[in-house]
Amino acid sequence: MSPDPEPRRRHPLRRLLPLLVTLILVVSACAADAPQDTLEPEGPIARKIDNLVNPVFLIAAGVFVLVEFGALFLAFKFRQRRDSDPDKDDDELPTQTHGNTKLEIGWTILPAVLLAFVGLFTLVTLFDIENTEEDMTVQVTGQQWWWEFTYDTDGDGEFTDEDLLTANDLVVPAGQNVRLEVTSRDVIHSFWIPKLAGKKDAVPGRAHPLTINADEPGTFVGQCTEYCGLSHAFMRQRVVALPPDEFEAWLADQQEDADRPTDEQAAAGADLFRSQCSVCHLARGINDDEFADAGEGTEQLISAKAPDLTHFASRGAFAGASFNLWVDQDGDEVVEADEIGFDSGGELNHGDLEAWLRDPPGQKPMDPVTPEEVEAGEPGKGMPNLNLSEQQIDDLVAFLETLE
Amino acid sequence: MADTVVHEAPTAAPHAGPAAVHGPSHATSTGLSNTKLAMWVFLGSDCLLFGGLISTYLLLRHRVPPGQGPGPTDVFDIPFTSVSSFVLLFSSLTMALAVGAIHRGDERRCRTFLLTTALLGALFVGGQAYEFTVFVREGLGYTTNIFGSAFYTLTGFHGTHVSVGIMFLLGLFILSLRGRLGVERAETVEIFGLYWHFVDIVWILIFTVVYLIP
Amino acid sequence: MAIVERPTAPLELPPGTAVTTRPLGVFTRPQATTGWRSWLTTIDHKRIGIMYGAAASFFFLLGGIEALLIRAQLAAPGQKLYSADLYNQIFTMHGVTMIFLVVIPLGAAFMNYVMPLQIGARDVAFPRLNAFSLWLFLFGGLFLNTSWFLGGGADGGWFAYAPNTGVTFSPSHGMDFYALGLQMTGIASLAGAINLVVTVLNLRAPGMTLMKMPVFTWMGLVTQLLLVFALPVLSVALFLLTFDRLFDANFFNVSAGADPLLWEHLFWIFGHPEVYILILPAFGIVSDIIPVFSRKPLFGYPFVVFSGIAIGFMGWGVWAHHMFSSGLGPISVAAFALSTMFIAVPTGVKILNWMATMWGGRLRFTTPMLFAIGLVTMFTIGGLSGVTHAVAPADTQQTDTYYIVAHFHYVLFGGALMGFLGGLYYWWPKAFGFMLNEKLGKWNFWLTLIGFNLTFGPMHILGLQGMPRRISTYAEGFGFEFWNAVATAGAFFIAVAMLVLVANVWVSWRAHRADPVDPGPDPWDARTLEWSVQSPTPTHNFDAVPTVSHLDEVWHRKYEENAEGKVVRIASGAEVAQPGDGTGVHLPSPSYWPLVMAAALPLIGYGLIFNLAFAAVGGVLVLLAAFGLGMEPADDPEAQHGPAGEGHGNGHAEDTDESADEGADGEEAGGEAVPAVTGASTAADRTPEEGSTDG
Repeated sequence: MSPDPEPRRRHPLRRLLPLLVTLILVVSACAADAPQDTLEPEGPIARKIDNLVNPVFLIAAGVFVLVEFGALFLAFKFRQRRDSDPDKDDDELPTQTHGNTKLEIGWTILPAVLLAFVGLFTLVTLFDIENTEEDMTVQVTGQQWWWEFTYDTDGDGEFTDEDLLTANDLVVPAGQNVRLEVTSRDVIHSFWIPKLAGKKDAVPGRAHPLTINADEPGTFVGQCTEYCGLSHAFMRQRVVALPPDEFEAWLADQQEDADRPTDEQAAAGADLFRSQCSVCHLARGINDDEFADAGEGTEQLISAKAPDLTHFASRGAFAGASFNLWVDQDGDEVVEADEIGFDSGGELNHGDLEAWLRDPPGQKPMDPVTPEEVEAGEPGKGMPNLNLSEQQIDDLVAFLETLE
Repeated sequence: MADTVVHEAPTAAPHAGPAAVHGPSHATSTGLSNTKLAMWVFLGSDCLLFGGLISTYLLLRHRVPPGQGPGPTDVFDIPFTSVSSFVLLFSSLTMALAVGAIHRGDERRCRTFLLTTALLGALFVGGQAYEFTVFVREGLGYTTNIFGSAFYTLTGFHGTHVSVGIMFLLGLFILSLRGRLGVERAETVEIFGLYWHFVDIVWILIFTVVYLIP
Repeated sequence: MAIVERPTAPLELPPGTAVTTRPLGVFTRPQATTGWRSWLTTIDHKRIGIMYGAAASFFFLLGGIEALLIRAQLAAPGQKLYSADLYNQIFTMHGVTMIFLVVIPLGAAFMNYVMPLQIGARDVAFPRLNAFSLWLFLFGGLFLNTSWFLGGGADGGWFAYAPNTGVTFSPSHGMDFYALGLQMTGIASLAGAINLVVTVLNLRAPGMTLMKMPVFTWMGLVTQLLLVFALPVLSVALFLLTFDRLFDANFFNVSAGADPLLWEHLFWIFGHPEVYILILPAFGIVSDIIPVFSRKPLFGYPFVVFSGIAIGFMGWGVWAHHMFSSGLGPISVAAFALSTMFIAVPTGVKILNWMATMWGGRLRFTTPMLFAIGLVTMFTIGGLSGVTHAVAPADTQQTDTYYIVAHFHYVLFGGALMGFLGGLYYWWPKAFGFMLNEKLGKWNFWLTLIGFNLTFGPMHILGLQGMPRRISTYAEGFGFEFWNAVATAGAFFIAVAMLVLVANVWVSWRAHRADPVDPGPDPWDARTLEWSVQSPTPTHNFDAVPTVSHLDEVWHRKYEENAEGKVVRIASGAEVAQPGDGTGVHLPSPSYWPLVMAAALPLIGYGLIFNLAFAAVGGVLVLLAAFGLGMEPADDPEAQHGPAGEGHGNGHAEDTDESADEGADGEEAGGEAVPAVTGASTAADRTPEEGSTDG
């Protein structure tokens, strides 16, 4: 009456095959070079997480093997052997067991105990990370679709526009616990540098603490991990850890205003910047008045802010860290701190920067305001196409290069 | 929309086939009628609806930033709302009397109490509407601030429940007028009574957390 | 449809009394029992179950196409097959479709078809409400999908975190369709849930105590109770979103003081029970399948049942594990981490009991059994990755990456969908009267298994390598290239596997047309009551409501312990089955009011979005339909169902009473002595080509 089952013999092997393939794939996965790899921590916070999760992965792997091979074993061992005894099929059944209370209690308690251990270590690590003493605090503000970093340079304990504002590259001193106050100006984003710490959501109206720490100086990449609308895929961020003394020098340098360029082309670019870019962007020392007159970007943008470009050329990336500002000389896909700037032998990434100025929404999905929408008082998201000529683009690039 | 549960007559027709062999009628497995059980389950579900709305209100009511219009303490007129709450509570009593009357087979009295309940409910809803207009005149519109949105949404959902109840009551009243709400339909009135009492209890909760607890 | 005899309740009329009052139905009742019209007005739980399945399959096709588009876009780094905007709509609609329009209704399909049969009932407690649920789900799903043609689909992700879903950040109508469409499918699910809860609690055959119910019915009951209590919370969240978007309320307006975490909490208080709503029906299915093909009773039945109940309760205390990186305080995180750990225990108990059922059995590797084992092995992987999420600090590295995507696909595809595919092969002969081809079934299974692992296995690696979910593209140099290519290949593998399923249905049907083979009432040598009726199930289900004395009642009628203590067969499935020729079983009449009412609600939805005039028309229609439903008797005295003179039962229908939540305001007892439906003749009408089960 039952449908004819397939020949038995091939089953075990056929079950085994996908499993083996999967295992091989998993094992070989570890070899890939991945700058956002969560399993290769490069700081104490991320390492605590890694140390916590690795034994859990091992336990899980053990259970995985037990269950999967257990199921395979059962399927093989207890398969119906019709060939050997054709009459057995219908008339006689295997021993009818209905259960075993001791066994049930055992396999309820055993995993509970195991999980209680995992839970214990989870809590220990959780509070350990939570109670990390910070050496300094930086405010991290997400907006569509880039990150702003505020350093409390006037020392009043608050983060305001009077403080130092940077974008894309979060520069921190290596080896120190840097507490980030993560918040947002529009929708929910999430700040994540996998090699340094777990992620924390940037929720408008709330400030969430997240501590990061890098063992060694270096550049660490990450990207926004809470879906934040159109250009979510292009909202990236980097942490540049400098030796503490270099960090202090950097911090002092960043507070300087930009110098008016002397070079003729760059000066033309500065004029263009004042006339074309002041609606949203500030370069201190260049267009302070125009920027203030235009309303400091508040009318054009829903998030009311565009990146401060005073020290644009001191950063390694632009446009929400979607593009490298400098050519990656050692080819490791990350522009390191020592590749940035002409002093250190860096080479400006003219291709991407010029392409960006030519048509920003073509390089990264954005929803900027059209002139009609500006008329109607509707703010937009991201940078519009300014229809610059090639000459204007060259001038602007020459100017932007000077913003070191 | 409750349907069936078709009663199969034990006395089968002459030609009845094997189905007629059925044993005698047996009760629903729980002993409760389907409709009554469904009403209980629905009310359980509705608890969570009001639970969500009340939680939302509690979370939001004090979050009005300065300068964005009136907050809870600015608009409430507790004596007025106490009176309308009492009206609604009193309607629970008349509802209970209506259920009692129909169980006794007193259709006329049941009819009277049903109408009374509906009128008291309508009085409550009218009071609520009046209260809303006063608040709006005092500057609290639905979109004025977050307290306004939360307050009108919560009380509006409750008012909608009462209004639906009134429609039912009028329906039952009309049925009764036409002689179709006899003692054999007592359970219908009883089940509707569950709904009405539930709506009242929810109002006690809302009145307490919205109006009384500062 | 006659369900069960009512007790002498106050509403009950004395048996056999002919009441001669005229019905208050507004129009004449639909009469057809065959043809497409009869499907529109049917209130038969079996047809409704089949239509649930068909509608869910259609949405599965849509969701699957969306999945393939997603995978095509992500096949290689930096691709721009289509815009980021469209990508955001596609992944949102993929999630919404698969969860709300595929997995929930597939569960509803099986529960509708199978549960009344498993408890020995003739239909659900409220057949017209059941039809309303079906149509509202279908129309709600179609409403949601018409957004593609009316300005674009929803683009806020399936969990739609505020404030990204506000008008400011999502100006198209997509999120309006999301909020209103899910509200509709939610009402449909709620009505269905209340109906099935009452059905299981109230309409069990004599002797079927709760602890004699098949596990599928048990898990169905838990699922429906979860729906009853979880859906209103989603409703609240959706109302708030709708009011914000359409009426300028301030619930998620941060500048007015809103806290976006409110949405997250409301959504996940619904959303986590929802996960169990999605998976428990599949657990129930494999709990029925594995014993049948192991030829042993389920190991530890009470433990399987209680672990399901435990999951149902504990599922309410774990929602914030979706929010470990949302900025909750460490105390909340700690509490939810622990509760999440421990919900793994009852799940593990189930898996071990399934394996213990196989232990010592004599396993038949039919297609249903293969899919059931597929669930056990694949769901385990999803469960284990779930435990790693419970490790809260680790979850801050994993959440919102492809590791999560891998996890929930192992749960929902490797778990729920595997179970449903198994159930499809298992109950197909019961529903349609012919078997699906076993050879193609096995191809179907193995291709699905391989494609599934190729697609979602690599996502674990991608996630741990730091690939966030919901990104429309990714750059080179992050180590994402290879595994994304593999996953895309796997997705098309799954597509092929699903085509094999379609081919199987087609081939099997053709073979059956050419050379009908009656699978008999009990083709699998199964254990539960649905196998004691003919295949396909007669319209009236049971000629006589069975009296139950055992768990696995049908098995106990077929097997007995002999003198030597060995369990031997004493009867065949065909011998213990009911002949299906029941006459005198009185069935309630079809109705078109459920259809009208369900069609009116999307009209209100369009009205709220585009023009309130539509909403007014829709509102009037809803009232009219509610009135119609309330006024028409469950049964039409004028109806001539069966062939005249075939045998007239003297049953009278009783239209019990209006339900308070539907707006109906009265009803009429429509109980004249009416010609009884002869169940056999309608069964034959339904599938005329299959030869009838007429006695």
